[in-house]
Amino acid sequence: MRSRKPFLWLIDKEWRELVTSRAWWLLLLLMGPLTGVSFIGAVRTYSEVSGLNGTSAGVGEALAPLIGVWVPTFSSLELAAVFLLPFVAIRIVGADRQSGALRLELQGRVSPIARIFAKAIVALAGWLVAMAPMFLAMVLWLIYGGSMYPPEMASVIGGHMLNAGLTVALGFAAASITEHPSTAAIVTLAVTVGTWILNFFAALQGGYWERAAAYTPAVMVSSFGHGLVELNAILVGLLLVLTGLGIAAIWQRLGVRVSRRLLESLLFVGAMSAAIVLSSFARANWDLSENRGNSFPLADEVALRGLRSPLKIQVNLAPEDPRRADLERRAFSKLRRVVPGLDIEYSSATGIGLFEQTREGYGELRYSVNGRSSTSRVTTAEGVLESIYETAQISLPKDVHETVFRGHPLAVPPVGAAALFYGLWPGLVLLAGLLVRRKYR
Amino acid sequence: MPLFRVSGLSKQFGKLAALADVRFEVREGEILGLIGPNGAGKSTLFECLAGVMPYDSGSIVDANDKPIDPGKALFYVPDAIAPWPGQSVSWMLEFVVGFYVGRAGLRSEIVAQMDLGAILNQPIGTLSKGQRKRALIAAGLLTPQPALLIDEPFDGLDLRQMRDIAAALRSHASRGRTLFLSIHQIGDAARFCDRFVLLNAGRIRGDGTIPQLAKLAGSPAEQNLEEVFLALT
Repeated sequence: MRSRKPFLWLIDKEWRELVTSRAWWLLLLLMGPLTGVSFIGAVRTYSEVSGLNGTSAGVGEALAPLIGVWVPTFSSLELAAVFLLPFVAIRIVGADRQSGALRLELQGRVSPIARIFAKAIVALAGWLVAMAPMFLAMVLWLIYGGSMYPPEMASVIGGHMLNAGLTVALGFAAASITEHPSTAAIVTLAVTVGTWILNFFAALQGGYWERAAAYTPAVMVSSFGHGLVELNAILVGLLLVLTGLGIAAIWQRLGVRVSRRLLESLLFVGAMSAAIVLSSFARANWDLSENRGNSFPLADEVALRGLRSPLKIQVNLAPEDPRRADLERRAFSKLRRVVPGLDIEYSSATGIGLFEQTREGYGELRYSVNGRSSTSRVTTAEGVLESIYETAQISLPKDVHETVFRGHPLAVPPVGAAALFYGLWPGLVLLAGLLVRRKYR
Repeated sequence: MPLFRVSGLSKQFGKLAALADVRFEVREGEILGLIGPNGAGKSTLFECLAGVMPYDSGSIVDANDKPIDPGKALFYVPDAIAPWPGQSVSWMLEFVVGFYVGRAGLRSEIVAQMDLGAILNQPIGTLSKGQRKRALIAAGLLTPQPALLIDEPFDGLDLRQMRDIAAALRSHASRGRTLFLSIHQIGDAARFCDRFVLLNAGRIRGDGTIPQLAKLAGSPAEQNLEEVFLALT
């Protein structure tokens, strides 16, 4: 034991502090029922759509477990990351200050940044343990005979780990800057609510707000949750995590003047912001979903990649016009992935578009490419593609051999899930909590 | 020989001067008492020396006038803290030895000196004030730094415990450990320390042995420390 390096002693200490904290055990306890509610609900709906109890069979052919089961089931993790994990993170940092341990540990040979990293490692390990009910849900699904596509599951889990990293980093920074954990909790929740406001604002205003909102935890999780892995989202997410941890480390140094810590924080945030802006230009992305739900058919992608000059699309739709959201989801998000020189410009006189419907040109999409232009009002993905091919004078791509996703309908009730998530899991957590807390004392 | 020298150390809390132009030296292997009433600035001085609180001006240098690295030169045990409250005393001592690369060979001796045998498995958060004080002094004694600063080492201890711990601390000082103790009970300090730094309202009122301080105060050499302190403050 004594031959361990100081950093490993710190990891040991942080782990002990975590497993003897009530906040973490409460998180573990609640994860069972939270997962249970979402998983059982999702499986029932999926089963009904797949033909259980006489529902018309065949509808389920279009069903993907990712969308039908895992997106709703993992939403409980998002809830826990917003409302439970911040308190665990704040406790990990704030308790040291409250108990006086921070003043002792700062006199050790481990730097503040290493201290914060040790805490982050333990917090994320604690989060992985808290994800155990999710892994149990996956096992249950396989037992039911459900299909699981590992790449898309990796994307979902990776997204939630990144989200947890963001929450932990935010909680650490707030707990380091503020004197008291309750203030840190308010700051953390305020930032979270701020990201929601940003999303709301982005929906209304579009433009740069929309670009910024793409990196809020909710949007990033949603992207990963649909199997879309974007390099810029990963880089920006990791840089945001590093920013939070760095700020936490700066403010842990009680022996440094507040004015200097403030200056260092501003310089650090400035440098990280520049890195974040640069990272946002990274274009690599991967559609890991089994049904390629984030992509056009392969033949269309090949044709679109062949566009020689920039493609510009002017869209006369207000931010709150439902057609605009449809266009974004079904066509433009897929288009951005394959057309490098894509320039989409929205224009509208109002936010809701209700009184613009009669305005000449409202609802029109103007395409410009290769010095030619055309106008259309069609907002379906197929319509958008046809307009692009027509404007660019590209012949419609021939069908190429592509595996068609037929869906994985599964009409089974969630047998045993209620007992597992509402009874067995809480019971095991309570028992383990008692045993572990006793062992570590 | 001075282990480190403090000169011109000042610390303001808004308009309040917590420390003003503090100057003194700490010598190797001595037991130095920092004497002063409540609010004199003793804890603030210790925190500044240990590098866990920033100071506005001044310097802390070694015998060669080079700035010291507080983490290497000294270890500070604050008063009224309950670190790692969920962990046992035994674990804390192991942690201190491992994390600070401390004096592992002294563990059993220190446990006996601080009478910790019965509370080794007890969580720190459940200890009484006196038990916690003894456990924290033990942790401090296990650290590797040559100087140990303890804020109010006798606070919360009964007379017997105070005498036992004073004897233990003296035994460590006799083996070369420098002890710098902040004590507000002047009588306790007089019985135990080799030299004294008198601090009042953030200012040094004198430092040295009792006869040296008495001379500074213009009092008879046999005068007790309390009278000298009152004369100087």
